[in-house]
Amino acid sequence: MYRGAVRGSCKRWEYAMTQADDRLKALFAKDEPPKRDPAFSMAVMEQVMRQRFREDVALLSGVSVIGGGALWLVWPTLQPALVAVSQGLAPALGAIALAFCAAMILGGRPTAALGLGS
Amino acid sequence: MSPASLDEALVAAAQGGSTEAFSRLVERHQQPLRAFLRRTCGDWAAADDLAQETFMAAWARIGRLKAGASVRAWLCGIGYNKHLTALRSAGRERARAQRYEDDREITLNAHPEDKLALEKAMAELPADQRACVALCLAADFSHAEAAEALDMPLGTVKSHVSRGRARLLQALGVCDDAS
Repeated sequence: MYRGAVRGSCKRWEYAMTQADDRLKALFAKDEPPKRDPAFSMAVMEQVMRQRFREDVALLSGVSVIGGGALWLVWPTLQPALVAVSQGLAPALGAIALAFCAAMILGGRPTAALGLGS
Repeated sequence: MSPASLDEALVAAAQGGSTEAFSRLVERHQQPLRAFLRRTCGDWAAADDLAQETFMAAWARIGRLKAGASVRAWLCGIGYNKHLTALRSAGRERARAQRYEDDREITLNAHPEDKLALEKAMAELPADQRACVALCLAADFSHAEAAEALDMPLGTVKSHVSRGRARLLQALGVCDDAS
C-alpha cells in the first residue's frame, strides 16, 4: 500500500492505493534483507566494540602521558615531601592504589571507573 | 510496549553507553535500512557496507538523537548522506554500475523481466529521486517522514515520488489507474 497517499491530502501528486502501487511494492519486496540477520548485526557490533576499545586505549594513553608529564614536572618538589611522609602514608596509598586497580578491573570501562561518565 | 516506545527506551539506554541496547537497535532496524540502501545503490554488497558505516556513525552520534525522533528515518538519513558521499567519490558510480550489471542475475527470481525492468528504471533515476521512491513507494514512509529523513523540502519529495513512480510504471508497462 502506498501509505503516503493515504496520509496526505488529495493533492494532485498523491495517489489512491492502486494495483500498480501494489505491483511496485511486490517487486520492491524482493530486495528485502531478512528480518533477523545475526551475521550482519554481529559484524556491526564487532566494529562498534573495536571503536570503543580504540577510544579506551586513546583515553588511557592520554591520561598516562599527561600524568607522567605532570609527575616529571613536580617530582623535584614532590620527592622530598614524599620521603618525609612516606613512612606514615605508604600503607594508605598502597590501599588506595589497590582499590583503584580493582575498580578499573571490576567496574567496567575506564571512564566509568574514573567517574567520567558511563 | 509499542515499537516507538521500545525504540525510545533503547535509544535512551544507548545514549547512556549501553552497547546491548544499541545492538538491539541494530537488530530492529537493519532490515529497513539495508533495503533502502539496496534500492538506492542498486549494489547489494555496497549497500550492506554503507549500512555498516551508517550504524557506526549512528553509534558515534546517538547522543544527538532527540527523544521521540524516528530512529528509522534518522538512520535512513545518515545512510543517504553516506550514499551521496560515496557517489561523489571518483569512479565509484562507474564501478557500481558495473557491479550492478554483474550482480543483477543473482537478484532475479520469480518475475525476472519485471524485476529487471524495475532495477533498470531505478538505476536510471537521479539519486535524490531514487531515494524518495525507495522510501515512499517501497518502505511505507510518508512524504513528511521522507522529507525529514532526506533533509529535503516536502514539495520536492512529493514531486520526486510522483515523477519516479511514473517512470517506474512506464518501465514496467503498467497502466497508472490512479491518474
